[in-house]
Amino acid sequence: MAANYPPVKQWVIAEGIFRQTLDGVRLIAQSEKEAGAFWLGKREAVAEISSLVLPHGRGVEEHRGRWAVSPEVLGAITRWAKPRNLCLLAVAHTHLRGVPPVLSWSDRNLGVRVPGMLAVVIGNGGDDSAHVKWGWYVFEDGDYRQLSQHEIGERIRIDAVREFETWSADANGVQVLRT
Amino acid sequence: MSEQQMGVTGQGDAGAQDAAGHPAVDREVIEVKVDYLPAPAPFVRKYRDETVIETIRTDAMTFFGVKDFQDRNIHKFFLEFEGRVLENTSQTLEHLLGPHRRSAHFNLIEQVTQGGTSNGRELPAC
Repeated sequence: MAANYPPVKQWVIAEGIFRQTLDGVRLIAQSEKEAGAFWLGKREAVAEISSLVLPHGRGVEEHRGRWAVSPEVLGAITRWAKPRNLCLLAVAHTHLRGVPPVLSWSDRNLGVRVPGMLAVVIGNGGDDSAHVKWGWYVFEDGDYRQLSQHEIGERIRIDAVREFETWSADANGVQVLRT
Repeated sequence: MSEQQMGVTGQGDAGAQDAAGHPAVDREVIEVKVDYLPAPAPFVRKYRDETVIETIRTDAMTFFGVKDFQDRNIHKFFLEFEGRVLENTSQTLEHLLGPHRRSAHFNLIEQVTQGGTSNGRELPAC
């Protein structure tokens, strides 16, 4: 029997998660390094993203042209998330100034590859604050497919008042930043 | 959270004999649970304690629909147990857990790498 990944028709994202993601990645982009974030929530037809995890520190590589999260950090996040019934729904990361917000070879092949996973590329090191300017991709049929502007409008719903939590993570564990 | 309960699997059938020809009826059966961060439900299956970790890793990867990937780099999945990434996948459950354990909880994890390569053009590293 295979794992069931329920199809996601729409992702509901607290507006604050966008803001906190940008705050987190911009700090690192100032040093000309890429950064990223994990968005977690419940995997349902309408998937609500309720938690933001910003990996940084031990076990996280932030370089120009490469952002990598080690198995130890993923393990720490998994141990923290599963008792809370949270699933990884999206991975967002930055591309630096001058690099288009499109998925690269490594983004496509070395990232998370399960049906319905969102990959979000934030352009210009986080200076592109309008989410419609970002690259939005969904994994389906064995590869990531870019969402059209129409699909972004239809399937990405921003909720200005939704509550969310922000956490940081490294190989030592997950710590709350904001609730 | 729902769980996928499956039958006893692993190496050898009930009633099989071990290498020394002794009946292998006294082996411990261990309920293994594996969580994977993007998946809403865990992989759950029973294994005999002589099962090697690689078997569980492979079964869990098949269940979650993921696989190792090798190109310029090796992108590999690991099992984590009690905060430890298990590099030695040839060890058995019995060796890992000790005797008389009836259950074990693992996490399936990978290294997530994203980068600013565009259209095959690598950015120069700092």
